[in-house]
Amino acid sequence: MARRVNLLGGAVFVAVLLVWELLVRTGILSFSYLPPPSDVAGGLGQLIGNGELGSALGHTLGAALAGWAIAGVLGVAAGSVLGLVRPVWTYSMASLEALRALPIVAFVPVAVLLYGFSVQTEIMVGCYAALWPILLNTISGMRTEARMVESGAVLRLSRAAVLWKIRLPAATPSIVVGLRLGLSISLVLTLVAEMVGNPAGLGFLLVEKGQALQPGQMFAAVFVVGVSGIVLNGLVLGAARLAFRGQLAASGEVA
Amino acid sequence: MKGTPVRGLLPLVALLVLWQLTGDPASPYFPPPSTWVDGVAPLVDADKLLGALGQTSLTFLIGLAIATALGALIGTLVGASRPVDRALSPSLEFLRALPAASLVPVAALVLGYTAQMKLVVVVLPAMWPILLTCRSARRSLSPVLLDTPRTLGLSRWDRATKILTPALLPAVLLGVRVAAPLALIITLLVEIVTRVNGLGALLGAAQQNFLSAQVYGLLTIAGVLGFMVNWVVTRADNAIGRRMRGTA
Amino acid sequence: MSPTILCDDLTVTLPGESGPVEVLAGVRLAVAKAEFVSVLGTSGSGKTTLLRALGGLLPVTSGTVHCDSTLVTGPPEGVVTVFQDYAHSLLPWRSVARNVALGIESRLDRSERDERVDEALTMVGLSDRAGEYPWRLSGGMQQRVQIARALAMRPRVLLMDEPFGALDAMTKASLQDQLQQVQELTGTTIVFVTHDVEEAVYLSDRVVVLSGSPASIGLSLDVALPRPRHQITTKERADYLELRHEVYEALGHRVPIAERSHG
Repeated sequence: MARRVNLLGGAVFVAVLLVWELLVRTGILSFSYLPPPSDVAGGLGQLIGNGELGSALGHTLGAALAGWAIAGVLGVAAGSVLGLVRPVWTYSMASLEALRALPIVAFVPVAVLLYGFSVQTEIMVGCYAALWPILLNTISGMRTEARMVESGAVLRLSRAAVLWKIRLPAATPSIVVGLRLGLSISLVLTLVAEMVGNPAGLGFLLVEKGQALQPGQMFAAVFVVGVSGIVLNGLVLGAARLAFRGQLAASGEVA
Repeated sequence: MKGTPVRGLLPLVALLVLWQLTGDPASPYFPPPSTWVDGVAPLVDADKLLGALGQTSLTFLIGLAIATALGALIGTLVGASRPVDRALSPSLEFLRALPAASLVPVAALVLGYTAQMKLVVVVLPAMWPILLTCRSARRSLSPVLLDTPRTLGLSRWDRATKILTPALLPAVLLGVRVAAPLALIITLLVEIVTRVNGLGALLGAAQQNFLSAQVYGLLTIAGVLGFMVNWVVTRADNAIGRRMRGTA
Repeated sequence: MSPTILCDDLTVTLPGESGPVEVLAGVRLAVAKAEFVSVLGTSGSGKTTLLRALGGLLPVTSGTVHCDSTLVTGPPEGVVTVFQDYAHSLLPWRSVARNVALGIESRLDRSERDERVDEALTMVGLSDRAGEYPWRLSGGMQQRVQIARALAMRPRVLLMDEPFGALDAMTKASLQDQLQQVQELTGTTIVFVTHDVEEAVYLSDRVVVLSGSPASIGLSLDVALPRPRHQITTKERADYLELRHEVYEALGHRVPIAERSHG
């Protein structure tokens, strides 16, 4: 990470915003509903002020996190079994790969069909989406370096000890990556579920503001979505670094 | 994927068979697989399915092509010069953080419910994997390789076409390999949300009309599409990779 | 007759870890037509910098480089640099023949181009490998391909940056002799950077030693050994040994008093 603050980059970013503002104000760039940055800022203020943003954000994050948490538990558990027990892997992997080919978005209408316009739809979709990276990363993480496992045998550790002391820590960096990816994906698919299914949360807010022809507020909501993603990702990474400092250091992620 | 035992398909096959045997054709939620074909039939009869598939494929292909061109171009430019990289990175990173899904309503409002809007929504996110791989590859090109055209007196055009392009091709392909499934997903996404046209629109309509057999049938077709894209991309990657063997 | 290459009071400053570093200062060098000049120096002495400046691959801070009386501001016409890192200089996606053709294909029509490629490959002894890909060849062969590529351009001046540095001793000896033959045949002016004293004395008409920090020409020694030279007989001659001795001393090696031989 660069110690020097990237002034040039920051300046360019601000410059782009200014040019955007100018182009829209002077009418050079005129789409019927393209707002200048000032309107976006204003929209953000309105959304925060009337509480719409807070409740929408809360709803979406809640659903996304719930789906992700469930996927985390299921994914790590199933992934561990698949990664550790060879016969299970042999007799399921191809099925998983076939299922994986199905684009996840296509499942959203299915979920809406089954669960209707409710938050369960969101959680189901978020969970299914997050399951994949978590599951796959756990599987690959569990297929540990043979030498490491051998050391466990050499030191006469019990199988449970080998699992707990060698395999799980070795798999941790992979699992953490899977969890991070899973969270991003859960967030995105939750948004989709809100746009297509359950009329609540940020996804619905986006669609609503679009239909209400409020581009300033809509862009502001998009901005919030982007920031949420970054923040969540950072939180997971930070928590992982705190909890698993040693394991992550080995994979070069932390000094 | 090579190496994954075929017997692994057993659970999936078993599930489908079980579903078929125990499923109630009248069930609004879980109609058995045999009903799916009938479910999709009306679309075939009305000539809608093929057209929709065509629209989805077109958006996907053109979107991927534009994303590749833009991604490679911008990635190479940014990778070529540290100052440019530092100047543009924060803005690019910010754009990259915006999920594709959130862009859909925005694009629909600003650009309208058109096929062009679909393309824009697909190109933007699909561009990133290619941009990133090209940037990284350009940065790590050997200085000796870059000095060679200079000492041989090659023109700028020759340098770009004879040296840079082949040298960066593996990176572009790697990016496309990641971007292709992504492009398909986003195509379907924008179609499901905006219902402009294509397979996604059909899916959304089927769901809205509670035609569950049709939904599952269309889902399967989407799966086949996804599988085909993955297969083609992997084959192409391997074929070209073999020819370019030895490239750093 | 005016020299083919003329460096006048050349100074090159390069950006370094903690500020700009003056690598070369006040370098004066004149190379005559068809002369083979070796530039010797220890690692980091600035030999590569000098070569890059001569080849127009590096901007000079002050002073001038002229090639055939024309000021050098970029890679000059008729001057080709051969790099030590042949692996990254050759294009892995092109066959040997097409690699050799790289510099000339835009300038010549097909028949002339093919002729030149054949000629160049014959000069380095790789005509039977024209269709192969570089990664299938040994290091020595790959370096010969790079040299062939340069030769196909029929350059007036060949600048070589430790071209045999990455090769084993036997391959090196073989390539040295091939290079001699090529130079005899073509009359190309060659500036050859190396850290190998034996190689420098064996190959050149003149040896130039870069020393000091910032570096400048410390010693310029004419090598009047008869040509053609042979790996065994030339290296046993008394004048060869004397020259070798002188160069080593210029590089900073001193013979311990007890070991000095008489005369």
